[in-house]
Amino acid sequence: MGNVKRKLLHQTLRGYGLYAVLILLLSTPFFYFLIQKLHLDDVDEGLVLRADEFKMHILPGLNASEIDQWNRFNRDMKILKEPVIKGDSLSFQFYYDSLITELEPYRVLLSPVKIGNLPYTLSVKNDLIESEDLIMSLALLYSGLLVVLLAGLFYITKYYSNRLWLPFYNTLDSIEQYEIDKTHKPDLPDPAIEEFSRLNQSVQNLIDRSKVTYENQQEFIENAAHELQTPLAVLHAKLDSFLQLPDLTASQLAALSPLYDLLARLNRLNKNLLLLSKIDHQSYHTAERFDLALVVEKTIDFFEDQATEKNIRFEHVKLESHWVVYNMALVEILVSNLLLNALTHNREYGVIHIELKGSTLIISNTGATSTVLAADKLFQRFAKTGNASKGNGLGLAIVKKITDLYGWKIGYSFEDGLHCFKVRF
Amino acid sequence: MKVLLIEDEAGFAHDVKTYLTSNDMTCEWANTIETTLENISLFEYDCILLDLSLPDGNGMKVLTELRKQNKTEGVIIISAKDTLETRLEGLQLGADDYLTKPFHLSELLARIQSLFRRKHFEGNNMLQLNEIQIDMMAKSVKVNDQLVEMTKKEFELILYLIANKNRILSKSSLAEHLSGDMAYMLDNHDFVYTHMKNLKKKLISAGSKDYIKTVYGLGYQWVM
Repeated sequence: MGNVKRKLLHQTLRGYGLYAVLILLLSTPFFYFLIQKLHLDDVDEGLVLRADEFKMHILPGLNASEIDQWNRFNRDMKILKEPVIKGDSLSFQFYYDSLITELEPYRVLLSPVKIGNLPYTLSVKNDLIESEDLIMSLALLYSGLLVVLLAGLFYITKYYSNRLWLPFYNTLDSIEQYEIDKTHKPDLPDPAIEEFSRLNQSVQNLIDRSKVTYENQQEFIENAAHELQTPLAVLHAKLDSFLQLPDLTASQLAALSPLYDLLARLNRLNKNLLLLSKIDHQSYHTAERFDLALVVEKTIDFFEDQATEKNIRFEHVKLESHWVVYNMALVEILVSNLLLNALTHNREYGVIHIELKGSTLIISNTGATSTVLAADKLFQRFAKTGNASKGNGLGLAIVKKITDLYGWKIGYSFEDGLHCFKVRF
Repeated sequence: MKVLLIEDEAGFAHDVKTYLTSNDMTCEWANTIETTLENISLFEYDCILLDLSLPDGNGMKVLTELRKQNKTEGVIIISAKDTLETRLEGLQLGADDYLTKPFHLSELLARIQSLFRRKHFEGNNMLQLNEIQIDMMAKSVKVNDQLVEMTKKEFELILYLIANKNRILSKSSLAEHLSGDMAYMLDNHDFVYTHMKNLKKKLISAGSKDYIKTVYGLGYQWVM
């Protein structure tokens, strides 16, 4: 399951957004009904008032014979024989409007009256057409205001958050780009906000301490390897001298042979350690223009004997000329370590394909094993993949370090039974 | 041939001295810059072997002093430092060769002899060993005046063998000599067998005696 990461700002704005939508959805109908209710109360009050006025001023002087006359001239206040009711009642009713030929909503008050001792019903009505529109307009206006208000809040928050968190994002970028083995140190500013200032200080301290630790470690490796050189040289000389002693028997001489091999191995290991600790911009700062194809060709020549000895053939050697400006010694070290790797971890009668196309060098080889290697462990120091004791476990670490130094891409893949290393210069 | 060895590691110096002395060379030993400068002003040497990290300073001082006194001794720097910078600095200050520790004593001997030859035989540089004649300039080998076709590596091998004649050379010493600066990249020294076999075959079929003796499991020896 992927752990979906949310952005800080989105997290803040999510709350705002949810709140705004909720308020809008809930308040708009509520507001609509509230205004409608207020308006209706107002209308009802008017109807009752008109009925009361009628009863007070007109009813006492009204004869039953005048009812038809009254009804003819009053559209909204009529005296009806039917229905007979006991108390006042308010209701909604629809009447046909001949002007716009539609049924229109009306509020109707029915009130019982007595004219000449006969019960009649007074009907007072008021149309609601205009008020409907008014309520709708009011509700829309209100929602509109709310939308504008919330949107404004949203964008202002976004704008200020962005500005507020800017130092944080700057620090984040600096840390992300920082690599301990590169020389430049990130230059973190001192922001006005206390928390960010503290963060930057802490990060700076952490980087400084790590850098010192890293440099100490590099220095230690270099010193250790250097100190080992002398005893190694003495051991070498002693062995060479011993070899010249007279009267050595054949079996004694044969016993010396593995010592030489071990010494060579120790020497190689030491040189590689020394190299690994020295690969940085300071030790290899010079750059020159050269043809990559020539370096590869030279390296192939160097390993020709080794390959013949193991019955390994170089095949599909396609080298296109490609001029670059780098430190040539480092490129040579890189190419030879890759080739050595392809030779060491090969099998008898195996093959090595080498292709230099543009700035891409591809070295693929048959392997002692025909399974995919763990790509993540491959470039680690002393990482043992599969059969142990071959190589000294530093070759590919050196390769990786050089590619890292120059920012080149290196990849491993397993294709058609070949272990394939690809470097993009 | 007279050699001055400047080296502060006594055990190492002793072995170098023994190895060179048993090869008909006179070897004197100094372990500080001070004694070195004294020796240089008093005696003449054919070759100076110079270590760089000495108790009383950097060995490069010796080089500048030699130059100041207009001395023409051949100098081989023997140092554990192997950065390009120190190498270039040494060569610019007048050193003739640079050998990184650790090395095979046989390699050192070959370098001393090569330096000596370069210094003393200008132009016509021929080596005659019984029926074998080696032309250093043309890089060719003749057996009984008959030219023997050789690869570059076979030629280097025969020179190295002769420089260390009658000494046992380990396979790794031969392999590293053939590989030069990149020697430490090798993880297998068996390829020497093939070259040696070919060289031996070529010499014998050209009418030379079989001088190359195989020391079983260890290496080879030029017996003369």
